[in-house]
Amino acid sequence: MAATPLSALAGVIRSKNAGPTQLTIDIFFHDAPAYARAAAGAALSESAVAALYRLDTAQVQRYLLPGIQAMKFTLPRRICAGNPGDGDVYGAQQHAPLLGVLL
Amino acid sequence: MTATERLLQTHRPADGPLRVLAASGQLGYGIPQAAFERGMQRRPHFIGCDMGSIDPGPYYLGSGEMAAPAPMVRRDLELVLGAALAAGIPLVIGSAGTAGAGPQLDATVAILLEIARDQGLRFRLTTVRSDLSAAQVIAALDQGSLAPIGPMPQPSRDEVLECTHIVGQCGSETLARALQTPTDVLLAGRACDTAIFATLPEMLGYPMALCLHMAKIVECTSLCCRPAGRDAMLAELALDGFTLESMNPDAHATPASVAAHALYEQADPFEVDEPGGTLLLRDAHYEALDAHRTRVSGAQFRPRARATLKIEGAARVGERCVLLAGVADPTMLGCLPQALRAVEERVRHLVPGDWALHSHVYGQGAVHPLPGEHHSRHEAGLVIEFIATDAALARTAAGVFKQNLLHYGYPGRVSTAGNLAFAFTPSEIDAGTAYRFVLYHVMRDAPLHDIFRIGSVAVGGPLAH
Repeated sequence: MAATPLSALAGVIRSKNAGPTQLTIDIFFHDAPAYARAAAGAALSESAVAALYRLDTAQVQRYLLPGIQAMKFTLPRRICAGNPGDGDVYGAQQHAPLLGVLL
Repeated sequence: MTATERLLQTHRPADGPLRVLAASGQLGYGIPQAAFERGMQRRPHFIGCDMGSIDPGPYYLGSGEMAAPAPMVRRDLELVLGAALAAGIPLVIGSAGTAGAGPQLDATVAILLEIARDQGLRFRLTTVRSDLSAAQVIAALDQGSLAPIGPMPQPSRDEVLECTHIVGQCGSETLARALQTPTDVLLAGRACDTAIFATLPEMLGYPMALCLHMAKIVECTSLCCRPAGRDAMLAELALDGFTLESMNPDAHATPASVAAHALYEQADPFEVDEPGGTLLLRDAHYEALDAHRTRVSGAQFRPRARATLKIEGAARVGERCVLLAGVADPTMLGCLPQALRAVEERVRHLVPGDWALHSHVYGQGAVHPLPGEHHSRHEAGLVIEFIATDAALARTAAGVFKQNLLHYGYPGRVSTAGNLAFAFTPSEIDAGTAYRFVLYHVMRDAPLHDIFRIGSVAVGGPLAH
């Protein structure tokens, strides 16, 4: 199967703060096959996502929700939201590195 | 008799569902009127509104200012207050004035009093103050009963003392204490979003798990629908489940859209920590009643022996001045990091004193780190923050930095007349006081009765009833 970017397989790919110290990323896939492909592959493993966000694998928590064809990642924010030096107070634009992940 | 006394004395869960109208997840930004009025036609038993959050950063907690524009706060309060009093039902508002700190609670009370005076309204207002003293936090720190949430450093005593405001998120045990006093309108300082919507149902005897799960969803109004929106949401709560229905006929609560909402701004989609215990959503069940409404059941609740308290605190960092400029020269864009470092070093010699610089280079990784090959070579935007002990020093550093960067001679420079494009002048702008979060912690064994002070006032004079 040809590799497909995540942005073509999911209808919602979003990031947001879960409190000022954590970031949470939700991915809602178009259908069950797309979800299954992502869940089975290594491209969206905890270690792959950790590498993408320059974190250690242990810092990334992945949740699988096959019932709604969704996947969730929770990771620490590098800087507490809105503290000097932060670039995204709401954490709403931290999804971008995932869009091009090939599945 | 006040609206809350009437509800608590007359409604029995066995009589039929409790209708909860969630009017706003963010009061002060314009409650959509048509959907709210449709909600009122459904004769809700009470109205709930969330007014705040920690999301907009430490500034609002630190400064005590409201994030929402005061005229729009007044407009929204007029809408919900007028409707609640006309219907004789309780109005519950939480996290007053954005961060729920004392000055924000007072400012929101002042607006309610102003509306009451202008419109000749009379009601019993109950307030909950959510402020903690530094001494209360330091005591918890000393006792080892303060734990950070996520990667948050443990503060020193001095850092706690530096906080301009510290608030605790009151839960339903506190709001229940407030609602046991005669109340038409309950206005709480910082409160758990869920407590706003879950407390009255809990007091009436509905199962805790269902109350909290319902509250968790409706506190964002129609955000759980497809398409998502800000329109009022109605929950009809029974002893075995609840039905969700948007008051916007074009926003549909589907099993998928409601289940998906459990993930929103939530670190763990299956276990949600609340003051009194943990809401367990693994066995939650979502079923379509029709194309517009979804029935929810199955959540569980694991109570903990003693309620925990989530606290938030922000401290002043300094005064902020921001320099705004654009760069379009490809050679300059290729050496921006070095140029910014070199100019900063030069300015450090020229402007002594305690100031910090934070650069955000839009087009080259300001939002999230970008590999070098993705750095823009066409155009970039500079937002450079200067934070100093006083505004004059921040402004001086920004002004001197601007002029030195404008005329900085980098290798291969051809645009010898200037390196920066300004959209306007002055291009360095005072941005007020900068704050940072010092506390985002959980406190165990907190003295909830001492912390959350309940007040009561007869607005517009003594009530006739």
